[in-house]
Amino acid sequence: MNALLAVPLVVPLLGAAITLLMRRTPRSQQVTATISLAAVVVDAALLLWHTWDGAVVVSQAGGWAAPLGITLVADPMAALLVLVSSVVLLVVLLYAIGQDIGGLSRAMPQVFHPIYLVLTAGVCLSFIAGDLFNLFVGFEIMLTASYALITQAPTRARVRASMIYTVVSLTSSILFLTGIALVYALTGTVNMADIAGKLGAAPPELRMVLALMFFVVFGIKAAIVPMHFWLPDSYPVALTRISAIFAALLTKVAVYAIIRTQTLLFVRDDVTSVLLWVAIATMIVGILGALVQDDVNRVMAFALVSHIGFMIFGLGLNTVAGLAGVIIYLVHHIVVQATLFLVNGLMRQYVGHTSLRAIRGLTTVSPALAVFFFLPALSLAGLPPMSGFIAKTALFQAAVTAEGGWLVGLGLAVGVLTSLLTLIAIFRIWTRAYWGTPLPDMVEARERLRSGPNTSGLRIMTAMTGVMVATGVAVAVAAGPLAQVSFTAAVDLLDGGAYVEAVLGRGSG
Amino acid sequence: MGVRGTGPPEGWEAPKERWLSTVVRPAFGPRSLLLEVAARLLIPAILMLSVFLLVSGHDRPGGGFAGGLVASMAYVLRYIAGGRHELAAGLPMRPNGLLALGLLLACATAGLPLLFGKPVLDTAKLELVLPVFGEVKLLSALVFEVGVFLVVVGLVLSVVAALGARMEAEEAEARQEQEIDQARRERRRLRAEKEGHE
Repeated sequence: MNALLAVPLVVPLLGAAITLLMRRTPRSQQVTATISLAAVVVDAALLLWHTWDGAVVVSQAGGWAAPLGITLVADPMAALLVLVSSVVLLVVLLYAIGQDIGGLSRAMPQVFHPIYLVLTAGVCLSFIAGDLFNLFVGFEIMLTASYALITQAPTRARVRASMIYTVVSLTSSILFLTGIALVYALTGTVNMADIAGKLGAAPPELRMVLALMFFVVFGIKAAIVPMHFWLPDSYPVALTRISAIFAALLTKVAVYAIIRTQTLLFVRDDVTSVLLWVAIATMIVGILGALVQDDVNRVMAFALVSHIGFMIFGLGLNTVAGLAGVIIYLVHHIVVQATLFLVNGLMRQYVGHTSLRAIRGLTTVSPALAVFFFLPALSLAGLPPMSGFIAKTALFQAAVTAEGGWLVGLGLAVGVLTSLLTLIAIFRIWTRAYWGTPLPDMVEARERLRSGPNTSGLRIMTAMTGVMVATGVAVAVAAGPLAQVSFTAAVDLLDGGAYVEAVLGRGSG
Repeated sequence: MGVRGTGPPEGWEAPKERWLSTVVRPAFGPRSLLLEVAARLLIPAILMLSVFLLVSGHDRPGGGFAGGLVASMAYVLRYIAGGRHELAAGLPMRPNGLLALGLLLACATAGLPLLFGKPVLDTAKLELVLPVFGEVKLLSALVFEVGVFLVVVGLVLSVVAALGARMEAEEAEARQEQEIDQARRERRRLRAEKEGHE
């Protein structure tokens, strides 16, 4: 148990140290980074296996018992998210390695590998942290690494984007720390299981202020409307490997934190209607933004904002079915979002840019690319039989059965509308970039790329994008077990008893 | 002694002693004797204090983080007094290397207990009676703290190297270019004058 929970932190950091020492030998850096992430994937799979039936795995670092020491906790939701995240991190790493082997990127691999591994450790710590302060530490590790990553291969646009990104993230971090201080002042503890028991005695108004404060903190990071403005301005300009990971994971970590804090710490009924309103606004504003963009990456960034709304909507339903839907949605969305950004990266490789104005006939240029785009894009819009369909069905079903009055009905209607608008946004990309006869310079660029001195890099990149697409399909195929574990996790979340007992009760794990 | 343009004012008797280990090329403005002497006197004391903080940190204020910050201040002081060459001369290895070594040490000691089935970050204790110090308690957590110490020093110095030292290097380059430009203009002026005479 102890080792299972420590590996996702210790191994990537160890890998970061080793890759930092081996900066002169790129090949050994690549091997070390791959082995570290593969170890995390295996570990996460074991963790999920242990928590499959709803068990909560706990490790008290240094043997210091719960409310005082550092507690690492994995419930089914955390284990599932660590697994999906590490798989995506591994595939994107291999994609990046392929790009470096082919000499197709201007990133500095000797800097990229250590920071990427540090980011992995931060993401994993955020998922398994048992107290608010370590959640903060996990966020900070992740964010500090992301500040460095977003300016890789700096251009004017990237430096500008990183300024916005850093300032917004720091603002949310300051609010986060303030919130933790307030919670500590109120309850005398930062351990989440402990807080859950002690917040009940606090005045309800105060509790609500704290709940909203944490919602704003994580809402900024999750890019929910009206705190979404920074995301479409910063993610799309980063390198492909980096925007893929940011879009897939960073916002989802924040959504995870919202779910954890709103279900475990705060009385949910207070903020339910706020959650629903915010969810509705996020869905519609995001997708309307996506419809008017001319850059493929920016379309995807706005679609990302819009689909965060679905997750908040599920949380706002405040039922087991709703939460289970959110967890399925998280898994689906992490995979699909990473895939689409990787596809856009391949497109940039072929065409040299991602603007819809000067791309035509990609289907002829690279049929594989067209397939790789089409499948996850349909999944994003929620067409059967893709994973997006399963996730949306789970959410809509939960909404139909929930008792929430007209607001839930409105949310449901907006959700369906958003799915349709997503489809339109996707067909806009499809008709403009993929159909038609290719521009002459695109064919030339393809020939140049394919007859280049080193095509193995391009082959690895294409293969890894294919692996991501296959993972998305696998999520749909494994919908049965996924739904099962999501329901177990949702029951655990809404009940909270097992979590609290596991952390505080049979202490030293 | 100093680089042209940064030396002491004319007529001022420049100090002959070398207070710092490299040829003095201050980062900011002209050389300051006071700062050099102060840095030389203070740095050993600051480093001693940082080690004290590191060791005493187990159950009193201090620890690897605080100690590392104090130690890196010693190097920052050295940098301010002597410039980037002085900073480089005072370090056993590049800041990145320190960072990696510290991270390696910290992760290894954090992860080692896992091999014995203990939770991560678990500590082993060793109590000794040494002749001069008396009773000494050695904790394996100290190794972890040393790792943190190195990470902090490495990180602060990386920042100094990236922001201060690189800017300084660029500035020196720009100054050199300016001088070359000036020389070229001078030559052109002389040539023009010469042609004018003819």
